[in-house]
Amino acid sequence: MTTAISTEGLTKYFKDLCAVDSVSLEVGNEIFGLLGPNGAGKSTIVKMLTTLLKPTKGKALVCGYDIEKNAFKVRESISYVPQEMALDIKLTGRENVELYAQLYHVPNRRDRVDEVIGLMDLSDRAGELVRGYSGGMRRRLELAQALVHEPKVLFLDEPTLGLDVGARKKIWDHIGSLKEKGMTIFMTTHYMDEADKYCDRVAIIDKGKIAAVDTPRRLKNELGQNIIIASVSGEYRPVDIEGIRLLGTDDHELRFIAEKGEEVLPIISGELTRQGLKVHSLSIRETTLDDVFLNKVTVQEDKTAFDGTKYRLMLRQR
Amino acid sequence: MISDVYYYFRRDLLKWLRGRIFVISALVMPAAWLIFVGVPLRPQFTNDYLSFITPGIMVMTMLFSSFQGGSLLIFDKVLGFMNKFLAMPSSRESILLGKISFITFRGLIQSTIILIIAALLGVGMPGPVQILLIYIVMGLFGILFSAIATTIALAVDDHDGYAAVNSMLSMPLFFASTALMPYSSMPPWLRVLASLNPVSYAIDATRDLFTGGIVFSGILELLAIGLIVMGISMYIFRKATI
Repeated sequence: MTTAISTEGLTKYFKDLCAVDSVSLEVGNEIFGLLGPNGAGKSTIVKMLTTLLKPTKGKALVCGYDIEKNAFKVRESISYVPQEMALDIKLTGRENVELYAQLYHVPNRRDRVDEVIGLMDLSDRAGELVRGYSGGMRRRLELAQALVHEPKVLFLDEPTLGLDVGARKKIWDHIGSLKEKGMTIFMTTHYMDEADKYCDRVAIIDKGKIAAVDTPRRLKNELGQNIIIASVSGEYRPVDIEGIRLLGTDDHELRFIAEKGEEVLPIISGELTRQGLKVHSLSIRETTLDDVFLNKVTVQEDKTAFDGTKYRLMLRQR
Repeated sequence: MISDVYYYFRRDLLKWLRGRIFVISALVMPAAWLIFVGVPLRPQFTNDYLSFITPGIMVMTMLFSSFQGGSLLIFDKVLGFMNKFLAMPSSRESILLGKISFITFRGLIQSTIILIIAALLGVGMPGPVQILLIYIVMGLFGILFSAIATTIALAVDDHDGYAAVNSMLSMPLFFASTALMPYSSMPPWLRVLASLNPVSYAIDATRDLFTGGIVFSGILELLAIGLIVMGISMYIFRKATI
């Protein structure tokens, strides 16, 4: 596996606030997802890797080029699609893509623009103003812009945010086929189910630090195969039972984790009854990336500053 | 680099031309000054006030258009375009120069329309050499103030902040100039302010050119200030992060 991105002790302070705390990562030719709660430092990492922000400490290489010393070379090798959907709605789809082809000085411009528009299934609407495009079409048009100079690494910030299920599926199919062609995709997302399904590896970021990096499969296995949820009334006193671990308790809900859910279900049921609790329901489900995520990050109230996303969404209608 | 400037210029131009109402709305205020102030007002220092304020209103058109042009960059920042542009290999100065060339070009078109309205209202037009020099004055003035406006916009976070800076600067610059009255009619304190104001340099030069003289002083002054401001603006843009 060739290394597309590698960081070593990458750190970013905003005044006294540590947004990214010595992050070290190796990313090869894969779809790599960065997961984390709001304000965990995901976007800051992406902005450093795309040369928009300078790190306070540490270093990072993208396609072998240092993001500080060789920023120009990095910019030539990458594309960055921020989450805002920045498209000129008074220009046509083709004009939007042409601008990028011009600024990247792409050879055979006309053919290349047609090619990427075709690749994103937008050929029949390319002559229309973007004003009339749906959210999914706009995101695909942005991908077309990003692909016009054949980048080696594609950075996507929340690529499916605010899109309906069909549009999301389509975006993911496109991202998957780009990876098959040898492109590295580095992305952030809030959608755990999508990360689980489509990312080769994910990193969970909490308070600027990496809490875990691995394939979604291994992260889930590490936690355990099954989650058992018991809805009860009464006070539960934790006891040690082999092969079962208490994951958390809410008001009337106990969550256990176990390797073989079906086998331990009667044991849990027996123990709860022995303690004199009234059991309303018992259920088993497979571990999801949500469980891994909640287990790794410190869940807290969203205290991050309002970042103007709503304002942008409002302005996008203009 | 030059081609990148053109690509950025063309993007803003296409968006402006497709904006319909905005193409006209910017002309309402300067036209209103000519028609509602220039025509009826009879001050003591001249018996043709319309001819007197026409150079002032042309420069005002350029001044307000330049300051208003700063909001183009604000929108690019707020809507996320700036992040995409900054992650590209094209130079950051070309973003600045693209804005300057578009804002100045737009200002020249607007001042031309104001010039035509003035001619229709009966203002005497100078010869072709003077007209050419007037356009050079206007162009340099536009470059100077669109560079200032765009650089301020790079530093300001949002649209409200920029609107505040805009109104705080553009109105005083206009009123503390020779746009509406000559130095001789000003109280001493205003005379000092007006003679330091680059807006007056452009107006004085244009006024001299309108009356048939051929002067280069305004052009040289604006060129000198313009070069300094451009140097600073290009430096700030080169260092730009987000």
